[in-house]
Amino acid sequence: MYETSPRKNAPASSLNPTDRAKRQYKIRFWIAIAVYVAIVFPVSFQVNHTAGALRIALALTPVLPMIAILIFAIQMMRGIDELERQIHIEALAIAAGVTALLAITYGFLEVAHFPRPSAWFTYAVVMAAWCIATPFVSRKYKG
Amino acid sequence: MKNRIRVLRAEHEWSQAEVADRLGIARQTVNALETGKYAPSLPLAFKISRLFGKAVDEIFDPNSVEE
Repeated sequence: MYETSPRKNAPASSLNPTDRAKRQYKIRFWIAIAVYVAIVFPVSFQVNHTAGALRIALALTPVLPMIAILIFAIQMMRGIDELERQIHIEALAIAAGVTALLAITYGFLEVAHFPRPSAWFTYAVVMAAWCIATPFVSRKYKG
Repeated sequence: MKNRIRVLRAEHEWSQAEVADRLGIARQTVNALETGKYAPSLPLAFKISRLFGKAVDEIFDPNSVEE
């Protein structure tokens, strides 16, 4: 029987490719987040009790689930339909531009002796700018 | 880009969701196509043409393309 619309609880095999890609990403994303949460706290505690190469390796361990999320996000982008992909790519381009602009602006403020920001700053700005830009970009294609 | 997707969909008595599933795209994309807000890629245009059994230029109006 032909599926008339993607159902929330429908088995993945009955969904169209773009819905399947998004559902797959959500499942994989939350698994990776669970792994991240499971390792980040013990690692943060243990990292101060070690030294040398082990300390660096331990500090970098939480990056592994983040790498997995990046790979899953790329797979999702390749699986979704062309308009959704175009919207995300456009929003990401805007986010990259906004981040570069903020970074250079803050770079000049550092000349005026503003404190050096943490590297987390870049991550937060890219993600926030991507989230804000996406609905603005998608509005262009709404009827 | 102007097109006849909405008319052809109505002739087949399909919902936007049904067309989306048959084409393997999102329902919002079908809406963007119907309203002319989005011009499809060549592969998607051919898929649409196969779905409705019409030539691409019978569905899409080449004169409505912005220069």
